Amino acid sequence: MTNSRKHRVLPGFGLSLGFALVYLSLLVLLPLAGLVAHGVHMSFADFWATATTPRTLASYRVTFGCALLAALVNAFFGLIVAWVLVRYDFPGKRFIDALVDLPFALPTAVAGITLTTLYANTGWVGSLLVPLGIQIAFKPAGIVVALIFIGIPFVVRTVQPVIEDIEQEIEEAAATLGATRWQTFRRVLFPALAPALLTGFTLAFSRAIGEYGSVIFIAGNMPMVSEITPLMIISKLEQYDTQGAIVLALVMLVISFVLLLAINLLQWYAANRHTQRHSERKPA
Amino acid sequence: MTPRRVNTESWPVRLLLCVLALGFLFFFLGLPLLSVFVEAFKQGFGPYFEALCDADTRSAITLTLVIAVMVLPLNILFGLSAAWAIARFDFRGKSLLITLIDLPFAVSPVVAGLLFILIFGRQGFLGDWLGAHDIKIIFALPGMVLATMFVTVPYIARELIPLMQAQGRDEEEAAVSLGASGLQMFWRVTLPNIKWGLLYGVILANARAMGEFGAVSVVSGHIRGMTNTLPLHVEILYNEYNSVGAFAAASVLALLALVTLVAKTIVEWRMAREIAMLSADLSIENPAVAAKS
Amino acid sequence: MSIEVKNISKRFGNFVALDDVSLEIPTGELVALLGPSGCGKTTLLRIIAGMESASAGTVMFHGEEATNVPTRERQVGFVFQHYALFRHMSVFENVAFGLRVKPRGERPSEKQIRERVMHLLSLVQLEWLADRYPSQLSGGQRQRIALARALAVEPKVLLLDEPFGALDTQVRKELRRWLRHLHDEMHIASVFVTHDQEEALEVADRVVVMNKGHIEQIGSPDEVYSAPATPFVYRFLGNVNVFRSRVHGTWAEIDRAPEPGSKDEALAFVRPHDIDIQREASADALAARIVHIQAIGPQVRVEVEHQGEIFEVDLTRERHEQLALAEGETVWLRPRALRVFQGEQLVDAQTFDLGAGI
Repeated sequence: MTNSRKHRVLPGFGLSLGFALVYLSLLVLLPLAGLVAHGVHMSFADFWATATTPRTLASYRVTFGCALLAALVNAFFGLIVAWVLVRYDFPGKRFIDALVDLPFALPTAVAGITLTTLYANTGWVGSLLVPLGIQIAFKPAGIVVALIFIGIPFVVRTVQPVIEDIEQEIEEAAATLGATRWQTFRRVLFPALAPALLTGFTLAFSRAIGEYGSVIFIAGNMPMVSEITPLMIISKLEQYDTQGAIVLALVMLVISFVLLLAINLLQWYAANRHTQRHSERKPA
Repeated sequence: MTPRRVNTESWPVRLLLCVLALGFLFFFLGLPLLSVFVEAFKQGFGPYFEALCDADTRSAITLTLVIAVMVLPLNILFGLSAAWAIARFDFRGKSLLITLIDLPFAVSPVVAGLLFILIFGRQGFLGDWLGAHDIKIIFALPGMVLATMFVTVPYIARELIPLMQAQGRDEEEAAVSLGASGLQMFWRVTLPNIKWGLLYGVILANARAMGEFGAVSVVSGHIRGMTNTLPLHVEILYNEYNSVGAFAAASVLALLALVTLVAKTIVEWRMAREIAMLSADLSIENPAVAAKS
Repeated sequence: MSIEVKNISKRFGNFVALDDVSLEIPTGELVALLGPSGCGKTTLLRIIAGMESASAGTVMFHGEEATNVPTRERQVGFVFQHYALFRHMSVFENVAFGLRVKPRGERPSEKQIRERVMHLLSLVQLEWLADRYPSQLSGGQRQRIALARALAVEPKVLLLDEPFGALDTQVRKELRRWLRHLHDEMHIASVFVTHDQEEALEVADRVVVMNKGHIEQIGSPDEVYSAPATPFVYRFLGNVNVFRSRVHGTWAEIDRAPEPGSKDEALAFVRPHDIDIQREASADALAARIVHIQAIGPQVRVEVEHQGEIFEVDLTRERHEQLALAEGETVWLRPRALRVFQGEQLVDAQTFDLGAGI
């Protein structure tokens, strides 16, 4: 309690904190609490029944499965893109670097209709894949494509600064000790990049779970096959089934929060492993 | 015939990585961007401009701008307040507050829209009272503004908090000790220091505000010429198989995205330059300060 | 294994970092590359390690051309100024790294690795830190681990780039002695880069003094200190007094302005402790007025003024007590050893003439 009584030199603490708290509470916290309150009023049996119909279970599978797949693809390619952007020089690099943020800037609806047109059987990419027997638009594969687009910047932008910060000496040290380039990457560089890669993966994954705008155009929205949970919430609302919408919204919220929490803990562990583990021991 | 540098890969590996990276970006970013404009101009300039001059499209553009203009000032105010409190003072629950600011990023936009229906909708907490006083929030402008505010809450605060934490409170304390009032300190010391970071946050928040689809879609009601933003209008035209119309509207949004990227790149460049300049100055005059910061 | 560097040059754009440098380091010798920052010493070390490629010239290891051998096949141990430890690996794993990345056929068994790592850790006296991570160690401990890591692969050559540059004086002194000891046990060729003359003179068998991309002098610590080959070496290794002079063949006139238009201009260099102070005039002494007297550790520094210039004289405490000097009085300076240079060239002067210039 002694700290909070400390004399403050700078003005505006009460005003700024007060405004920030009121704004955040009215806009974010109270509405979220409202949703939870609605859920609490339901009987557990009702809740469980609505949350686990075959169609909703299928929608969870589609939503989380596609988001996971897209985030994995993004983690793989995002790492390569970040590496190429930091380490190699080629003409137009600055332009391409700026382009990576396009998914942050381009409205999701635009991405949705564009990707659908591209990957439809008559589109530039789709028409190339049809002869190979691959169909992407209006299939779960289409959802993955849309979610990959949405998630690209997350991995690249979290990994890029970490690659920039790697000291050249670390790699030189590995080389003088006889490590091949691949051994250096696998044993020295990758472990250093892994926490950032995990963060980027998490961000891309959690964004993909909630994504709606870019997915609905390309998904085909077939119940049990390519229907995502956010779309089910909307269709329940349109059928005035508010209760059903609330149940699905709560399930999504809980799963996203648990995932975020789990991965945050994992990251915290990864970040502190090398400094905390032996700190309790005294030097002999 | 010099030995290759220690810290780089052999050329086949370099080539492979470049092909993978650029190919990936080309298929997932380049092609879509290109195809927006190709589709929009598929039937020439005439139909394109006709589509853009359509009354519903024009009113959608107006509504999108109106929402952005209403949302941004409030979010700027929130971002500044939150960053000031968090970066300049110590209080309990600070890290919880930082986490809460990021909360909207973890909530699906569709769920965000749903939250406001549960409060202001016909069967919501305030539904009866609003109905009795004939105030319309859901399926009207206020609901769309609220939903957009919700999804854009974190952007500005997230840029400002680390920036202001890194800058430290020395300069403001100096200003106050020299007799500046709170407002003078803010305008003359704080704002000049954070202006690029603030602008960066505003650019990102603006792009999201103008492009938001899911949250706004839930609360809009899709009334043509009334509660239709440009992204929602794109959907309606597309579902009506009006491809040129949809892509014409989409091209406006894509152009907005390109402007956003250019502005963002310029601001990033300015910020990097300013940081480099400031740290160079400090390290010459006072190595201790530079080392500490 | 011996190292031989032949006619190495290195350019970065227009900047010449190394200009036709040749150097030979036999097995068992500990050599210091000494010079101011930017003199090319680190570049030379990195070229020997293969981390930088030379613009011209060759590197030989034990008589075999190694110029184009990649770093990882050169079997050099390299120690970096900022340690370059792998921060996500424990101390044990850092030291074991070089053994674990060996090709499958040459890789020792897990038991052999453990024995070798623990042996090296005991050599650097840090066995008790095996499970720690680099972030939990002090600077001196980190550098010892870095050395153990470099030695784990049994390098033929040990290269150290300002190994003690980031440490404080106390630790630095201790590590110097310890490096010398370690080198003697290993019996390999070691090269270390430093800008600290004291460090170079104290530790090395031979000192290579570098300046602006070329070698100024190679010699034993005593040689480079007592008989510097160039004015640069004189100035870089310790304090020195410089007198304007002129030479005529083997006859040098000290403290004389050169005659206009003649080519006899030269500079005479005398270390402060090579000057004696006497109270009476003599033909081999210069008159000077005492400006300031200060005791510094075992010595007494006397600052004297001679013809508007300040010179330094270091006396032993005994000599100082004997003379009982006072500030302001006039005394006579008598150089015991001096070397005269014309430009960069050492003049083989036999007779020195000082007296007449007063």
